[in-house]
Amino acid sequence: MQNEPIHVLLADDDEDDRLFFSDAIKELKMNTVVNVVKDGQDLIDYLLQTDVTLPHVLFLDLNMPIKTGLECLKEIKNIDRLKNIAIAIYSTSASEKDIEETFIRGANVYIKKPSSFTSLKKVLSEVITLNWQYHTSGLDRNNFLLSL
Amino acid sequence: MNLQSIYLFTSSSFLRKIFLGALFILICISAFTYRHTFALSDSTASVIHSQQVHLELEQMMSYLKDAETGQRGYILTQNPVYLQPYNGSREKVEVSFKLLKSLTLDNSKQQINLDSLHKIIDLRYSLFRKSLALSVEKPVNKVEFDNVLMNGKNAMDDIRYRVNQMIEFELVYLKEKKAKYESEISFTPVFTIVLFLFTVLIFAIAYMMINRDLKNVHKANKELTIINESIDHAEIIGNFCLTQWDLYNNKLIYSDNLYRMLGCEPQSFEPTVENYVAFVHPEDKHIVERGANDALNKNETYIRTYRIIRKDGEIRYFRSVGKLIEDAKNHKTHIGIINDVTEQHLSNLSLEEQNLELEQTVKELASFNYVASHDLQEPLRKIQLFISRIDENEKHSLSETGKEYFARINVSALRMRVLIDDLLQFSRTNKAEKNLERTDLNKIFHKAKNELAEAIRDKKGIIQTNRLPILNVIPYQIEQLFINLISNSLKYSRVGVEPFIKIECEKVRGKDYSPFKVNGEKKYFKFTFTDNGLGFEQKNAESIFILFHRLHHKSEYNGTGIGLSICKKIVENHGGFITAKGVPNEGSAFTFFLPA
Amino acid sequence: MKLYIKYDINEICKKILQEQLDRLSLSYVLLGYSEVEIKEDISNDKLKELHAGLNSYGIEVVESSKNILVQKIKDVIIEMIYENDKLPSSKISAYLADKISHSYGYIANVFAEVTYTSVENFIILHRIEFAKKLITIDELSFTEISHKLNYSSLAHFCTQFKNTTGLTPSAFKRIILKRREAALNNT
Repeated sequence: MQNEPIHVLLADDDEDDRLFFSDAIKELKMNTVVNVVKDGQDLIDYLLQTDVTLPHVLFLDLNMPIKTGLECLKEIKNIDRLKNIAIAIYSTSASEKDIEETFIRGANVYIKKPSSFTSLKKVLSEVITLNWQYHTSGLDRNNFLLSL
Repeated sequence: MNLQSIYLFTSSSFLRKIFLGALFILICISAFTYRHTFALSDSTASVIHSQQVHLELEQMMSYLKDAETGQRGYILTQNPVYLQPYNGSREKVEVSFKLLKSLTLDNSKQQINLDSLHKIIDLRYSLFRKSLALSVEKPVNKVEFDNVLMNGKNAMDDIRYRVNQMIEFELVYLKEKKAKYESEISFTPVFTIVLFLFTVLIFAIAYMMINRDLKNVHKANKELTIINESIDHAEIIGNFCLTQWDLYNNKLIYSDNLYRMLGCEPQSFEPTVENYVAFVHPEDKHIVERGANDALNKNETYIRTYRIIRKDGEIRYFRSVGKLIEDAKNHKTHIGIINDVTEQHLSNLSLEEQNLELEQTVKELASFNYVASHDLQEPLRKIQLFISRIDENEKHSLSETGKEYFARINVSALRMRVLIDDLLQFSRTNKAEKNLERTDLNKIFHKAKNELAEAIRDKKGIIQTNRLPILNVIPYQIEQLFINLISNSLKYSRVGVEPFIKIECEKVRGKDYSPFKVNGEKKYFKFTFTDNGLGFEQKNAESIFILFHRLHHKSEYNGTGIGLSICKKIVENHGGFITAKGVPNEGSAFTFFLPA
Repeated sequence: MKLYIKYDINEICKKILQEQLDRLSLSYVLLGYSEVEIKEDISNDKLKELHAGLNSYGIEVVESSKNILVQKIKDVIIEMIYENDKLPSSKISAYLADKISHSYGYIANVFAEVTYTSVENFIILHRIEFAKKLITIDELSFTEISHKLNYSSLAHFCTQFKNTTGLTPSAFKRIILKRREAALNNT
């Protein structure tokens, strides 16, 4: 169990955010593998490769060029092979409307991007461990909703 | 019965009944009169008849007497001259008898009497003959002659008696007839007079009623004239006109004002759809034509606005409203009102333009809202993240001055974040989300209190409240209002004095608070948040609600000067009003009114 | 024709386990349902083969003794939450220590090390998961749910729900219902 790394994927068009994200995950000292993609189209292309290891959690920025996070969410939920990936929305805005809409469309977690590195680490660790609980303790993934 | 129905009853059907009654009575009167006259002539005839019978009987009697006298004279004198009356008497008696027989044809009793009389007369004449024969025999058989004479006398007496009896009978018959006639006649005049008087009375009533009806009709006519005139005036003043289109007779009526509205003399052209459409602006003709079409085929009310060109060339906006109505005989009439709405239409147009501009502004504001929420936050968040990265890992390599500057950068960034968050909240309150829900304000208060639990604990604050009402409000806004007011009191508490916040609520009438901009007619809930904090100068009571306005230096009390502006906005969103009172170093009281 | 089947999952697991062990001709003793003692030294290749064989049935060999302990802790906790009558009257820490026969400090440490989360968090997580399940079934009111899960008050339940999921119970319910509706509309 400890040997099996947790696969994490981030789709975000902002270079700084990708950097913060990778740094924060690294500092968590968990056994994780982080991959990043630059936009929505990249994300779908990446996930559709046949030999790719599917992530345990996908962190998805909403506001991306070419293909928005919401479009990616819809697309992923319509592909049988991908629809069981836990999806964490990772966005700057946190309007009630966005939160509810993404949840209804099948997102599991909604994260408002924090403004301090400490809280970023805390949030990511929380999401990954909670997801791990769903992964290992036989919980009903349909009920996996978390807003941070 | 109400007045209306009395009037209806008397005016038409009752009058008709009166005339029918009077006619019937007249027929009765003439029937009685006819009968009366008939009875009179009948009785006269029977008097004459009786008289005739009487006379004839007397006549016959006298013939018999003549015969007897002649016979006696002859017997005495044997002179044939005396026999003359006797010889002719038999025929005369027979004639008289026949007359009598025919006169009494209708009376069986008299006929029987006559028949027996006839037999006695026959007997008498045989006795005459026998006595005559005996008188010429020589010698005279005295005994037999006397006997025959005696029998003749008896027969004569019998005849006399019978004639008298018959006369008597006629007299009795006449008397009876007279009595009967009198009994019939005596009633008739009274009855006739009563009927006549009754008829006169009925005619009098009818006359009065007709008179009254006429007066009413006259009055109604007068009122109608007034109404017609006032409609005419109203049409001119209100710039509208009425149209009536009788589809059964295909007759159109336009009121005078339509002509005036078109800039023409009243009734100067024939009222037809074509003539009217000629005035309509060419681009709008289809609207009116379709309207006329619809009016005939659809039963619902329609409204149409279009342009017309007046006779003098001026363009006006008309609005037609109309409906097809149907009377009891299924005759359809189209009733319409045409209104000159040029002024309203033009002001509507400019309003619409302004609305469009306003909408544009609101859209811009909304996009500003998005810019503020997203694009402004984005770089700030990164600045803060970088600050926290340096703070964690690189701070030790900075000089002391560098560290101080760095700390100041952090404070500024934090302040920027608070400002953006507050501003966002303010602009969200601005949004006209009027989703009022019935909300228990006690629950809202508890939520607000929970939200502030930490601050209340830190400041050792006490909040006291009485029972709050259930109101139609926007829940999250009222929660924000409570939070802002309570946290304001907590923030501006006096050093060393534990904050005590008292929340009171009562129902009041708007007119008792006329200095405020409340509606006097309505009822309000008046909420008062009183604290024992720093308070403020009363002269600042209004300015504290102004956006970004602060009474304190920001190094003393951090804040953005937005919180109370949000409070004001929220209360005004609910149709209420907020006001503040302060006494420096004693406390402040915020009072707001929410419509009950 | 329809057949209705009743089965004993533990018995099946036992049978599969025995089959796989027999296939590799190992000598072993079964200790309860989830423990096997192998009586001989086993080569790495054989061990891998055993793992692979069992994995194809979804049975995992829990390797370290720590993992076994954690599994036990989880079992006790889940049983405690889902079966109302098992809810201890004593403190949960004492109850766990008693059930697992280790000090609570040790239990907590091992648990955190293996699962990345604390026992307390795990308990809260599972209580809230149970609450979610009850909410989605939509038979009980929030008050009844909070009562069933032994919360001291509805407010306490709501607060913990919100702290754990970031959503209020009613927002959660609304989202789940709308999701179902959306799923229905898609099919």
